[in-house]
Amino acid sequence: MSKVRSVVNRLHERIDYLIEKCPNMTAAPYNYNYIFKYIIIGDMGVGKSCLLHQFTEKKFMANCPHTIGVEFGTRIIEVDDKKIKLQIWDTAGQERFRAVTRSYYRGAAGALMVYDITRRSTYNHLSSWLTDTRNLTNPSTVIFLIGNKSDLESTREVTYEEAKEFADENGLMFLEASAMTGQNVEEAFLETARKIYQNIQEGRLDLNASESGVQHRPSQPSRTSLSSEATGAKDQCSC
Amino acid sequence: MELVGDTISNGSSSADPPVPAKSTLNIVKQRFKKDEDILYIFESYQLKGPEYVTHLLVLVSSESGGTYAIVSFSCQRTPLSSVNELVIGKVFAIDEQFKLRQDDTSSIAAQQFDLFSGEEGPIKYYYYPSETAKFEEFYATVVNCQALMTAIHLDTVLNFRWLNDYRQIGEVKQELKKRESEYMIYQDTKIYCATWNVNNKQCLNGSHSLRTWLSRSEQPPDIYAIGIQELYVPAKSMLSSTDAAADAQWINNMINSMYPGVEYSILKSYRMMAVFLIVIVRKPLKQQILNVRCNYVTRGIFNALGNKGGVAISLQLNEGNICFVNSHLAAHSGQKAARNQDYQGIVGGMSFEDGRTINDHDHIFWLGDLNYRLKEREPQPGPLDDPQLLLIDDELREEMNNNQCFIGYSEGDIKFQPTYKFEPNTDNYDMRRLPSYCDRILWKGTRIELLEYNSIMEIRQSDHKPVYGVFHVKIKTRDHAKYKRVQEEVLKAVDKRENDNQPQIEVDKTIIDFGRVRFNEPSSSYFNVYNTCPLQVDFSFKEKDIDSICEPYLQIDPREGSLLIDSARSIWLKMHADVRSISGLLRKIRTNDNFDILILHVKNGRDIFITVTGDYQPSCFGLSMETMCRTDRALSDYSQSQIKELMNNNSPHYRVTMPREFFLLIDYLYKQGALQQGAFPSYESRNQLKADFNAVRDWLDTWSQDPFPASVETAAQALLLLLDLPEQALLEPFVENLLNSASKQEAMNYIDLLSPPNRNVFMHLCMFLRVGIESGYYDMHQVAVTFGRILLRSSECSALPNYHSKCCAFMKMFIESDEELMGNGNDSGAGSGTRSTGLHA
Repeated sequence: MSKVRSVVNRLHERIDYLIEKCPNMTAAPYNYNYIFKYIIIGDMGVGKSCLLHQFTEKKFMANCPHTIGVEFGTRIIEVDDKKIKLQIWDTAGQERFRAVTRSYYRGAAGALMVYDITRRSTYNHLSSWLTDTRNLTNPSTVIFLIGNKSDLESTREVTYEEAKEFADENGLMFLEASAMTGQNVEEAFLETARKIYQNIQEGRLDLNASESGVQHRPSQPSRTSLSSEATGAKDQCSC
Repeated sequence: MELVGDTISNGSSSADPPVPAKSTLNIVKQRFKKDEDILYIFESYQLKGPEYVTHLLVLVSSESGGTYAIVSFSCQRTPLSSVNELVIGKVFAIDEQFKLRQDDTSSIAAQQFDLFSGEEGPIKYYYYPSETAKFEEFYATVVNCQALMTAIHLDTVLNFRWLNDYRQIGEVKQELKKRESEYMIYQDTKIYCATWNVNNKQCLNGSHSLRTWLSRSEQPPDIYAIGIQELYVPAKSMLSSTDAAADAQWINNMINSMYPGVEYSILKSYRMMAVFLIVIVRKPLKQQILNVRCNYVTRGIFNALGNKGGVAISLQLNEGNICFVNSHLAAHSGQKAARNQDYQGIVGGMSFEDGRTINDHDHIFWLGDLNYRLKEREPQPGPLDDPQLLLIDDELREEMNNNQCFIGYSEGDIKFQPTYKFEPNTDNYDMRRLPSYCDRILWKGTRIELLEYNSIMEIRQSDHKPVYGVFHVKIKTRDHAKYKRVQEEVLKAVDKRENDNQPQIEVDKTIIDFGRVRFNEPSSSYFNVYNTCPLQVDFSFKEKDIDSICEPYLQIDPREGSLLIDSARSIWLKMHADVRSISGLLRKIRTNDNFDILILHVKNGRDIFITVTGDYQPSCFGLSMETMCRTDRALSDYSQSQIKELMNNNSPHYRVTMPREFFLLIDYLYKQGALQQGAFPSYESRNQLKADFNAVRDWLDTWSQDPFPASVETAAQALLLLLDLPEQALLEPFVENLLNSASKQEAMNYIDLLSPPNRNVFMHLCMFLRVGIESGYYDMHQVAVTFGRILLRSSECSALPNYHSKCCAFMKMFIESDEELMGNGNDSGAGSGTRSTGLHA
């Protein structure tokens, strides 16, 4: 019995820790079962913020200023009847911020790595972004490669085939997308979530690891007992 | 209900003048449902740390609940511009325990008042009125509402369930609730209620024996609720009062007597002693039913025996809550008060597993042998086949009219004869009792329509006739497609609100340029942060992986703070490359183009990177001897990028053998002769810079031809710092080897491995000190202690035992005039001598 209690206490500590560590979270009843943390990385000007904006607002943001820091966006999506809150951290791409942005990789469940199909240099830098991602995230972090600006076919410098080969070699998911037209944007974010969810279902992601980037929420917040958390799942969903 | 309606209109007419500008009222209204009226909005505030948080205390009444409450919304500013700005803080039900008190005992808190509601536990919430003058009015309105509520009977329809929509539920659920009308449809449901006091008779054989009672409706019922009183129960099972299985024979007969051609299934049967209730539903309906719960209340002798009382079954069909009650109330003429009490006892005592009471249902059907009689009167009642006349004397109708029982319940027109008391197996009344309408079916709730209500004369085995009622009920149901669509819209809206309401601040610059930055000269700069969102924003500088928010040569003030709406503040940065931080700055310059990147973190929001730059004016202080030996002109002629390049130069080629800056200082001190007396007082004093220190800095950095501009002490201090400030100690990387060397000869082998600039500086320094000591200007021990700790500075070795005395002993060994050393040192000494002439040339 005391063992159970200590486990419960540790769970509560963990939850408190996560709540504290995690912005955009309230202690109010939750509208979702999971939170996945995403980061968006890639060279300056490849359209990271525009992709985020297109995903959260379904609008193209023209004349988007350079991100000087880290922006947040959230959206609740549904995978397999589960509500998942995506918490997306959009990082600055400028080289001088590279060292600072490294501290944001920690705890990401998904990494969207973006290049610009019309600028080869942004594609050439992918291996360095990939190295950072592999070094700074959990091995089960899902990395999704996005070739942005697919609407600018006439000035394309990187072919789909070339990038696809790079993605396959490195085990990355891949799509070409356009933050301007919205093409494949939804797909990239949702595919990433499906893959993370699949990893959870197949037990490849340890939810207890603080760096998994996933938080599981019982639908009904209950601090009283383990059993009520377990049984509260289905019909008391607060959404 | 009507009474409550009246009081609302009274309340609102008296509250008309103080209701704030229409826009605020309209905005607040959006947070409430249609049948909820806002009676008063009182603006107040709470103290939260050093900040004031505005709260709108909204006094609301609910038509469906018949109750009042105060909902406290926090908001960032008034007047409101959008409903999104309202955040529900607390909900205070104006129940019996509700208190609104103004605290006038302490002078400081003279305006303070507190709210307390029984449902919230023993916690009081303190508020301060924004306009003191209005408080009295608010107070009077609230007290008036409370008085109206307590005046009403406690067992009436009043409830606070409507408040659940405002408490402890997520934003999404609240929003969905508000838009209920967009996805709720009403599912037509036929409910067949039946009651019969069977007078302990066995069930008749014959599988369709009950069909005349249970198959009367035109259309097939969806739900049957059948109540039996005085069910025959064998004595041995009497005691187990909650035994679910009543009598298989009865149940079988019931099932077989249902509407023909339709498949039914038992949902729940429940018995308390002889009072039995069963709910049977059409098979496909079963999966739409949730939360089937049952309970009983015993009445009768000592209210405990259970020969009288009630059983009830609660269920949820889609979004509608339905309750069926079967009761057998106190018998005999003249016992109406006892029957009323039994009714009260059942209403007050019946609660289900989830805490729900009978009144907490949308649709309530109460059936049974209620036992209310016709009043005795002389002469005997008129013809028994004229119900209209008989019902004038009906106790139940009279008690209901007087609000003594079944308040809020309805009953259909009775067009049948009294159902009690018959001589068994006949249609003849047993005239020893006054014929009465004992067996009744009542209902309460919304969207219920009675289709049929009748008794069955053809069933004769009991002294009661069975009664049935058929209802058409519209049950609230979600249209799944519509619900899905609304839910998606709501989720999207909530996401958008969350993204839009993310705390936002703006900064007027993200690059802070300090311009010219010099060693030992503080400078400051600032930038402004603005709150650009409708929320209070908390910001702080985030720790980076080095455990501090900025480099040691920077100071930030304030490091964290709050910004109210529409406010701004300046954040000051102070840059000071002093003796403690210069090596850090030079290290940064060697690897970066900026001085630092700060992370300005907005609580619950984004991070902004603030880049700190400037143009560092190189100085000899902090540079290594190697770097200084690569210069070909005064350091003041170098730019930051040029010095960066020099610092990163690792070639073994040097322009000079010893830094000119070092030599100039030694040379100056040497020429002062006896004036140098005691110029190196202690190790600790080196960091307390003299007032004329910067003059020495400029003299050295410009290779000035002018006379030395400061005192001998300052020159000595500059010498110590020149040796002490570089990132690495002069004798690295051999400090550990040197400290562990057994002999001078062994140590000398390591000295020879030092880079030429470091070796030359070391030997030249030792020679200079030796001469000073021999001349009696310096104390050997003092000098050895001071220079030993500087030249052998090492964080690893300082933990060694006797580290300080070892440093001292090492220095003494090299400073002391020793023939052997002179012999060895002559080479280097000669070298430095040559160089000194070279420098002078």
